[in-house]
Amino acid sequence: MNAGAFLLVLIPVTIALAAPLLYAALGELISEKAGVINIQLEGMMLCGALFGVWGSAVSGNVAVGFLAAAAGGAALAALHGVICLVLGANQVVSGVVLNILALGGTSFLFGSALSGSLTSPAATLRPVPIPLLSDIPLLGPALFNQNVMVYVAYLLVPILWFVWRRTRLGLVLEAVGERPAAAASLGLSVAGVRWSALLICGVLAGIGGGQLVLAGLGLFSENVTAGRGFIALAAVVFGRWRPVGTLLAVLLFAFVDALQVRAQVLDVPLPYDLLVALPYIVTIVALGLFVRHMRPPAALGIGYRRT
Amino acid sequence: MIRAVAARTSAATLLLPIVAVVLALATTALLLLLAGADPLRALSDMWTSSFGSTFALGTTIVKALPRLFTGLAVALALRAGLWNIGAEGQLYVGAVAATGVALYVTGLPETIAPGVILLAAAAAGAAWAWLPGVLKAHRGISEVITSLMLVYIGIQLASYVATGPWSTPGATFPASNPVPSSARLPILGTGTSVHAGLIVAILVALLVWVLLDRTSFGVRLRAVGGNVRAANALGLSAPRLMILAMCLSGALAGIAGGVEVLGSRGRLIEGFSPGYGFEGIAVALLGRLRVGGIVAAALLFGALDAGGAGLQASGTGLSAAVVQVTGALAVTYLLAALGLSEIVTRRSKAKAALANADHTAAREQPSHGTDVATPTASTDVGQKGTKT
Repeated sequence: MNAGAFLLVLIPVTIALAAPLLYAALGELISEKAGVINIQLEGMMLCGALFGVWGSAVSGNVAVGFLAAAAGGAALAALHGVICLVLGANQVVSGVVLNILALGGTSFLFGSALSGSLTSPAATLRPVPIPLLSDIPLLGPALFNQNVMVYVAYLLVPILWFVWRRTRLGLVLEAVGERPAAAASLGLSVAGVRWSALLICGVLAGIGGGQLVLAGLGLFSENVTAGRGFIALAAVVFGRWRPVGTLLAVLLFAFVDALQVRAQVLDVPLPYDLLVALPYIVTIVALGLFVRHMRPPAALGIGYRRT
Repeated sequence: MIRAVAARTSAATLLLPIVAVVLALATTALLLLLAGADPLRALSDMWTSSFGSTFALGTTIVKALPRLFTGLAVALALRAGLWNIGAEGQLYVGAVAATGVALYVTGLPETIAPGVILLAAAAAGAAWAWLPGVLKAHRGISEVITSLMLVYIGIQLASYVATGPWSTPGATFPASNPVPSSARLPILGTGTSVHAGLIVAILVALLVWVLLDRTSFGVRLRAVGGNVRAANALGLSAPRLMILAMCLSGALAGIAGGVEVLGSRGRLIEGFSPGYGFEGIAVALLGRLRVGGIVAAALLFGALDAGGAGLQASGTGLSAAVVQVTGALAVTYLLAALGLSEIVTRRSKAKAALANADHTAAREQPSHGTDVATPTASTDVGQKGTKT
């Protein structure tokens, strides 16, 4: 197989693998713009994966699965909101602890309460070729023969870009994340904006977790997310808190992931464990080499309290 | 900030974590009830296998050891205002280094072999934490993200050596070859699994206590943790101290990995840590960042681990994962309680100030600035804002 054909095989896999990461990363981007950091992004994805599979298995309807996934992610986000936004605790601490809670909680639920309904695969998504576009030679089948939630994930990027650049909502979010006191003096509700952004993040991360399992085998396993939430967290930083940048970062990680999967299939004599670590190595190197002046939202992670 | 929590001993410091733990246990009982189990029997099973006998107590202690090291690691970095979220990765590379030296460095005198190997583990952990430290100190890149990424690299590195070059081809168990018995930390007594890692832990805990609370180095760390600019103005090199704090923190986590290999497990097992590094953060917070508190919190997490294993083995079909929930809930409740108590304090202060202002106004004297607007100093790590 020549290099060109090899890359062509990688493209559709990359596009599909990027989708769960993209949901989580864009959710995190929205939340961080408003000043709330979610280390528990991983946990929210995990909750989304469990409840997604459960909802889909119980109802036999994959759409219900995604609704349940969104609710699962949002529930953990709400807990983060109560601990940090209401009670004023540190966001990093809360995030780490909620990750432990999500890992233990999903494993416990999977092992006891829900085990009966999760033995057989849940209903999963099927590819939907887009007419005409999917007929384009070579790239058509690669890009336009994905499942519907993949298309939605990529559509979110221009939508977010538009909201950022062209609407008042984008300004409001930015104001709350950069200068909460100033935003409040303009009559904006800092708490309201942060809660909304956080819950949207929970919904999107939950959907990302749902996508992970419902676009695949429809089966949950303990810790099925295996650090993807952390990759998404890094993608926001690497993407410099911009939608398109975040998309590119996610695509890079997904490409490395696809390469790694492909190399295993082709029996490339590279150690599997080290290949799995590639996306993380790429992140560190990328952060170390390219991020010179990291400028996160000024109030990121800092609680706001009316005086 | 963090200084305040470390310096102030009050009833609340002790009481709040205890209340949080009791509430977490009660919630666990409720969860077990909802899962269709008999919560009292489950809790008693957990008690029996964590404190019920000398053997059970030994298991609790052995399982507390890695959490003690990682808890101290997290607390040390936090004194300097740094979040070492990556203790899990430093633990794994510590275990890798310990295994490598134990397997391939021959001719170490038996009396010092475990000590030398643990130093190698500490060095590896320090190196793993050095990178986030440097990137934070010189580039301003959040140590939270970088140390997290290094967790996964460390885990994969350990998997690779444990199942690849350091194992016997065809081995069915995903682990390295066993380390020679001369390198092992010996079992201390008969009838339990407690090994000499306990002595290492006691020594290290004492050392950290002296370092943080009894030396000028500890004071300097806190200065950097409190305010980098002020520390610079005092002539302290904040970047150097930050990097040093990360390295020391990483060394402690690395020792955790080394002790696991030389003590409890005798080899490098793929994925052997159920999250000791992440739990270290919970342990540090539950212990309120004090060495004594961290010892107690580590014992609690060790007991939960031992209890969970007992619960799963008791044949009631309950998953040991429930104890992870208990541990996480305890810290969640503590964070909530700290937040509430801060809000209550602030309200009562504001009320007092308002009453004072009314009183002054009634006497028709020019009102001086009241206390209302004075920002209450953020007194707790739970509330400490962090820029990432």
